[in-house]
Amino acid sequence: MKVWTLAASTLESFLHNRLIVVLLLVGIGIILIMMIPLLGVKAKITGTNQAMMESVVLQVVSEVVGFMSGLGSLLAAWAATDSLVTELKAGTVLAVMARPVKRWEFLLGKYTGVMMLMAGYAAMMIGVSYLLAWLGGQHIHANPLVLFAYPLVRYAIYAAMAMLLATVLGSVMSMVSVMGIVIVNSMVEPGSWDWKPKLMWLKTALYYVLPSTNLLSEERFLSLRQAALKPTTWQEHGTALLYGLDYALVILLLAMWSFRGRTLRRD
Amino acid sequence: MTTAAIEFREVTKVYRQRWRGLEVPALTNASFSVGPGEVCAFLGPNGAGKTTSINLLMGFFFADFGEIRVMGYPPGDIRAKAQIGFLPENFAFYKYLNAERLLRFHYALAGGAASAAGLLISDLLAKVKLTEYRKLKIGKYSRGMVQRVGLAQALLKDPQLLVLDEPTSGLDPTGRKDVRKLISGLKAAGKSIFLSSHLLSEVEQVCDRVIIISKGRVVQSGMMEELLGNSDRVEILVSALPEELQVRVTEWGGSVAAGEHGISVVLDLGHKREFAEAIWAAGHDVLRIAPLRGSLEELYLKTVGNESGVA
Repeated sequence: MKVWTLAASTLESFLHNRLIVVLLLVGIGIILIMMIPLLGVKAKITGTNQAMMESVVLQVVSEVVGFMSGLGSLLAAWAATDSLVTELKAGTVLAVMARPVKRWEFLLGKYTGVMMLMAGYAAMMIGVSYLLAWLGGQHIHANPLVLFAYPLVRYAIYAAMAMLLATVLGSVMSMVSVMGIVIVNSMVEPGSWDWKPKLMWLKTALYYVLPSTNLLSEERFLSLRQAALKPTTWQEHGTALLYGLDYALVILLLAMWSFRGRTLRRD
Repeated sequence: MTTAAIEFREVTKVYRQRWRGLEVPALTNASFSVGPGEVCAFLGPNGAGKTTSINLLMGFFFADFGEIRVMGYPPGDIRAKAQIGFLPENFAFYKYLNAERLLRFHYALAGGAASAAGLLISDLLAKVKLTEYRKLKIGKYSRGMVQRVGLAQALLKDPQLLVLDEPTSGLDPTGRKDVRKLISGLKAAGKSIFLSSHLLSEVEQVCDRVIIISKGRVVQSGMMEELLGNSDRVEILVSALPEELQVRVTEWGGSVAAGEHGISVVLDLGHKREFAEAIWAAGHDVLRIAPLRGSLEELYLKTVGNESGVA
């Protein structure tokens, strides 16, 4: 109950945040901008070029959604950092933690609030992709549940990472660290970076320690869309999603452990 | 044996900046206790360790050494927190909420049932005189109004112990009087109150116990009456004062004032007997001899000297 109260309060504070409003406006702007080429493509569809046009439209949709999804990862990290650091900076945490609330409940409440925001964002992203496809005269083949679950799990990992870092660092350092992790993560992805042979041990270690690049990369999200034409089994989805959830849970538990011994002072 | 509301035993807290190799002692072997139903003034200059002590007892900071018990539990234990109402110094709030919603939020965190919240919150808002501003966003409140809503949230769920850090900060004289009245009411209801303030005249009127802290050490602790009554000066009321005795009083560093019922002479305790015998020898009467009750401000200044932060 207390966790839900804190989660609802966290979500409400986001809805009063100007950055979120800006992001929403960016989303609406993207839809408006993409309407022009997509409506143009739609007008050129004939009986003979139907398959080619479908491919063009879905490619455009993939790129737009891929961009938004990447933005979502940053939003998840920022929201998690902000939800904690702002409370500490403003001192609102003192009156809240004076209540019979355990520290892990506070952190879980904040995290749940962030995930509620990201669930809304993922739902908006699906809406945008369906809308863009419809504007181009096509429709998306992938299961909406899959389109919703994959980015959400990725956001869960980024949010947990940012929250863990925010328990020990300031907001800027936490965000920089998360972005650093994202960059390093892309560098350890097979075939993405030319590692010197003597540093291969480091690449291997990072590959195992950092979350699966397949799950985190935008390609994973996009290839899933292509894979929708070659159906992926629910067991495969389940394995990938459980891996991501497990990773997020471990990081979140580490964040709770770290927050347990943190001094609650106005930073 | 009754459980103390607050107990500090040899508590030490040192702030460390490891990368700079800095160590600043904030609290050194601090020991004191506040009994159930007592109103305790926690005084000291700025930087003396008052807010550190409050943060330690609330479980926001962790002591390096020593033991702390709050309502019989370690600091931060939710069984202790369930019995505490806390007003932090410079109460911070969610600016987008109005007073009613903020109190509902805190009431929910305190484990209160939503059905009982409405009436209780209305009562509390009336108590702190914010009923007509209940729907106004707190971001638009004046400092005094924020302090009032902070007090209201501290009173939610009928706490047994109130920890108030500068409760009258930002309040006008009427507001301060209201808070004093509120504290007196809570005292009458048997609540324990731990009050940090710079307004010595205010706390003198409502507190039973005084703890004075300076440079992280408890330098004075005891019941208000004992500490203020423990003066080294005495007031002697006499029927008449011959001129040569008046001169001697001045030489002793005493003072003379004519009153309705006689002449009041204030002297050091050491000259009491000599003065009284001289009055009798001159054929006059000693009407009353009473130890002079000091003020809290005098006690404070005598204890901590002229360190900064004295109000």
